[in-house]
Amino acid sequence: MADPLDPISDDQILDAVAGLWEALDPPPDDLAEGVLARLDANDLDAELLTLVEFDKELAGVRSTTMLRAPNEIGTWSLEYLGPGFRVQVRISRSQREARLDGWVVPAQPMTVYLTSMGSKDSTTETQVGDSGRFEFPVTPTGACRLTFVSDPTSTRPLVTPPFWI
Amino acid sequence: MLVAHRSPPLDFTWLYQEQDPRLYRDVINVSEVPGTQDAEPGARWSASAAAFVAWRDGDQAALEELVRLLSPTLWQVARAAGLDRSHAEDVVQTTWLALMDHADSIAHPMAVAGWLCTSARRESWRVSKRVRRERPTDDDVLHPTLPTAEGPETEVVLADDHLRLRLCLDRLTERCQTLLRMLAAGPRPEYAEVSAALGMAVGSIGPTRARCLDKLRRELISEGSL
Repeated sequence: MADPLDPISDDQILDAVAGLWEALDPPPDDLAEGVLARLDANDLDAELLTLVEFDKELAGVRSTTMLRAPNEIGTWSLEYLGPGFRVQVRISRSQREARLDGWVVPAQPMTVYLTSMGSKDSTTETQVGDSGRFEFPVTPTGACRLTFVSDPTSTRPLVTPPFWI
Repeated sequence: MLVAHRSPPLDFTWLYQEQDPRLYRDVINVSEVPGTQDAEPGARWSASAAAFVAWRDGDQAALEELVRLLSPTLWQVARAAGLDRSHAEDVVQTTWLALMDHADSIAHPMAVAGWLCTSARRESWRVSKRVRRERPTDDDVLHPTLPTAEGPETEVVLADDHLRLRLCLDRLTERCQTLLRMLAAGPRPEYAEVSAALGMAVGSIGPTRARCLDKLRRELISEGSL
């Protein structure tokens, strides 16, 4: 393609353009971590919920699956979409502890498991109330995910991508 | 924080107009297997081929290496298609999930980078169309050409040669900038893929590419960069 008299080949120019964009528009630092977590979640015998909403100010250099840096303090919310329902999640993190409040819309009987994916693997469970509300007053911190199982169990469990508490 | 690059909403619909599928039929296969790259991207494609072979042979750690090597390239592909940051990230993840299902269909390991970028490009186009449909007035879809307003990119400190290249790119038309960004991301794409995303006939990609590159080359020369 390149004219031998050209000082620089088309491919060299395009590589330079690619290099410029890599500098101008770098991916989130934890892009690969998000991919690996998603691939892990895909291995589970469960259907993945889709993250549809999050506090916009949370996004930025951090990825949307790992919205918060570890040990950040504050309150933030996430919303996931599943087959026939939505889940809103609000996470409040203080210096020493964290809590998670959730709402399933429309309300339906479900068991919810909160699993910590960190070094201390742990799972706690609760039930969705008549109003669709559920809560984990004390949660683990670090990378976690929620699993929803319909009562009575009829479909595959539904699991969120990992998120930070 | 860094996401919302609030330049005035730009009309971007021309990017996503569907084209007559008959226009794609004379597919020009540019290069799925990269061979004419500089050392740096070339080395990335070779390393990814090696990691891909190791993973298919059962080495799980090689998958992580592959993901780390190529995810930044897939990010560029998705962003070049005009997706915002969260959609771009989702496309990168979806692309890797697709590889899990279709790894067997990749005959030549050197083609893995091309395969992933092609998948990412198609998925980006699909997502762009959906986003446009759902939020027709959304100005959140970022502009894949150079930002003119204050944005996160302006905080990046550029090396001299990048600065000069940026200056020269800025003198090209928006369409040229978009086309060159798309063509530059990852192993050189097939014209048919770019054609679909840009709403340009396949046959006009080659001449437009040549025109844009010539203009950029002239700008670089006049800037003393060449």
